[in-house]
Amino acid sequence: MNFALSDDDILLRNVAQDFVDKESDLAPLLVPGANIENAGYAATWTKIKSLGWPSLVLPEAYGGAGLGCVELSVIVMELGRTLLPSPFAGHTFGTWALLHGGSREQKDRLLPAAATGATTLALVPPIDGNTLTVENGMLSGQHNFVIDAADANYFVVAARDVKSDWGFYLVDARDSGLKIEVQPWRDITRQVCKIGFDNVAVEFMPEPAGNIWRLLLSHISLFLAAENTGGMRQVLSESVAYANQRVAFGRVIGSFQAIKHPLAEMMAKVESANTAVLYAAWALANNDERASLAASMAKSFSSDAYVDATHRSIQIFGAIGFTWEMSNHLYYKRARANATLFGDPRAHRDLVIREATQRIWPNSSTVGSLSRVA
Amino acid sequence: MICGDTMDFDLPSQDDSRRLAVRAWFAAHPTPSGQDWLDSGYTVPHWPKPWGLEADAEFQLIIDEEIGHAGLMRPAIANPVAINNCAQSLLSHGTPAQQERYLKPALALKELWCMLFSEPSGGSDLGSLRTTARKEGDNYIINGQKMWTSLADKAQIGVLVARTDPQAPKHQGLSQFLIEMDTPGITVRPIIDMSGYENEYNEVFFDDVVIPANQMLGKEGEGFGLSMLQLQTERVALSKPGAIWGAGPSAREMLDGLADMGALDDPVVRDEAAKIYIEGEILRLLSYRSLSDRMNAVTPGPEGAIRKMVSAPHGQDIMNLAKRTQGPEGLLVGSQPFDNKTDAHLGPFDNWDYAFWFSPAVTLGVGTQEVLKNVVAERMLGLPRDLDPSAKKPWSESH
Repeated sequence: MNFALSDDDILLRNVAQDFVDKESDLAPLLVPGANIENAGYAATWTKIKSLGWPSLVLPEAYGGAGLGCVELSVIVMELGRTLLPSPFAGHTFGTWALLHGGSREQKDRLLPAAATGATTLALVPPIDGNTLTVENGMLSGQHNFVIDAADANYFVVAARDVKSDWGFYLVDARDSGLKIEVQPWRDITRQVCKIGFDNVAVEFMPEPAGNIWRLLLSHISLFLAAENTGGMRQVLSESVAYANQRVAFGRVIGSFQAIKHPLAEMMAKVESANTAVLYAAWALANNDERASLAASMAKSFSSDAYVDATHRSIQIFGAIGFTWEMSNHLYYKRARANATLFGDPRAHRDLVIREATQRIWPNSSTVGSLSRVA
Repeated sequence: MICGDTMDFDLPSQDDSRRLAVRAWFAAHPTPSGQDWLDSGYTVPHWPKPWGLEADAEFQLIIDEEIGHAGLMRPAIANPVAINNCAQSLLSHGTPAQQERYLKPALALKELWCMLFSEPSGGSDLGSLRTTARKEGDNYIINGQKMWTSLADKAQIGVLVARTDPQAPKHQGLSQFLIEMDTPGITVRPIIDMSGYENEYNEVFFDDVVIPANQMLGKEGEGFGLSMLQLQTERVALSKPGAIWGAGPSAREMLDGLADMGALDDPVVRDEAAKIYIEGEILRLLSYRSLSDRMNAVTPGPEGAIRKMVSAPHGQDIMNLAKRTQGPEGLLVGSQPFDNKTDAHLGPFDNWDYAFWFSPAVTLGVGTQEVLKNVVAERMLGLPRDLDPSAKKPWSESH
């Protein structure tokens, strides 16, 4: 038993910290009217590739670093802390989907290039409004909320075969039947796209979707929970700094209990989320039987906590925190987006009860069970 | 995929050799005598020898679990003030004579201790206490009143904090004493709290109580610091985040109970139960993190103070949801929402009905929730301290 990060993990965190602090510049997004086009996605992605981070989650056999979820979480917390915009999230989700669902041949063909980032992947998940169907090997329908789709080379697409059930399919982004539009998404640090598929040829991926979806959802939940935790840490530290500096009624506002008590609560949530994330990361990395439970706990807890913290930070800053030129709203919007996508807190709590009690509850719907998704 | 080469959330396994040895000892001593407890070192395993076993945090956890497994009351519940809070101060601040007189009976669970700290004038603001200890020759004469004293009606030994120097600022004029509760002039009266169950608390009156000066613990003026240290001492019981200050049922027992009665079919109950369950699991992880920090000899992080702040309202939430599932039945005196499933049925708070009606106290005792939040905000986040106009002046000026 040892809950501490290893020396290697701490080293990795320091590298990540230096990198994100150097690269992160939210200023272009704090100009009214800014959108995802101003986020510097492509430039940051080039730098992330040169650090080798796209290879982190992949086994050495595919040119990966063979590291795993704890190391990934350490890095993602840093990305979340600065909101550093890049397609790292979408690419990682797509890579996980191919790794767990693809055939040996598909993986040999695509994963080595995914490990360097030369080929970029994205995931079209079976939730959040998926209307996709496959008939005779051709895919049609749309998904309105695909993360980092615009520059992806391949998609791993969840779709229902008209004759059978959910499956995952590989789609080449060059197919002329694809129509991709960047959405006017509120979280302008993240690219979210609408994709229309009109009779697009697909490659079947052999692993039944029902077998891998829960695992995939757990990994994605961990990723988002790690972002939430890093973001909350930043929001806390900025709010504390402001409360220590802003004067009203002759005192710094941090001396009022109406301000300091919510900050104490926020700190408790940050430490709680941090612990939940590391536990889920460890459990996933070790194929522990409680991994999916731990991931859903981390996702639901950190999502609610992040939404609360970002709302509170705007209140602590006062009216200035409500302006576009402050970064408060960027965190608030990321918090809301992360809470909504891939199962909201309540949906994950449903999974937690289901898995904690090891029972099937007939009247509940859940994002974890594919048959109930659409 | 292998990762987290040293991070390891696995708890000591069932066939851990240390665990097997402890289990064998309890099999051989199913009802340990006081001397058995003392010889085993299991009451204070983290203490140095000869009292304890110099056990690391993981070994402490094993011992704690095995005491529960043996169906015995945990020493930290049997004699909480001595074992959780005060006895350790005798190792650091006690004279050899004090150690010889007080430690053995306490650790053998023969002499119960109580903590004579809070007063009618204030508990959270301990520094404002009014009970006086006036030096007269080789004695101190104690006068005043203590309140909210757990176990005062059962304890043989009290740890008293009283004002020895009224001219000093409020926090600096206090000293601690070890006293025999049957000393003439001490009167104990039970306080019947809103639960209506047997009293948890008492008030204690001191009328010209004569205490030999050699029963002072530490030096004159060290009373406030010692008291704060004793209140912050981590609970030895680590195995579960029970609803009432770590004792009693946890969220897992609540979820089991709700599942058994089919209450989780109601989507509102289900969601609320999930929130409480998740918080309980996180509290468990935070405990283990403290444990792990101690094993790694790392200065404890913020999780200790945070855990206290989160766990008190968490305990109230557990009890509130469990009680609500009973409907009108829950208002009947003594009614239980579900069968008790905890491993040891020996603590009073394992009675769900008592724990529910007692639970408003958990955000009051050992420092109110508001004071805890101040502590976290001021000490961990570096926010400004609350103003106390009386802190710097001689205590006698404001009284």
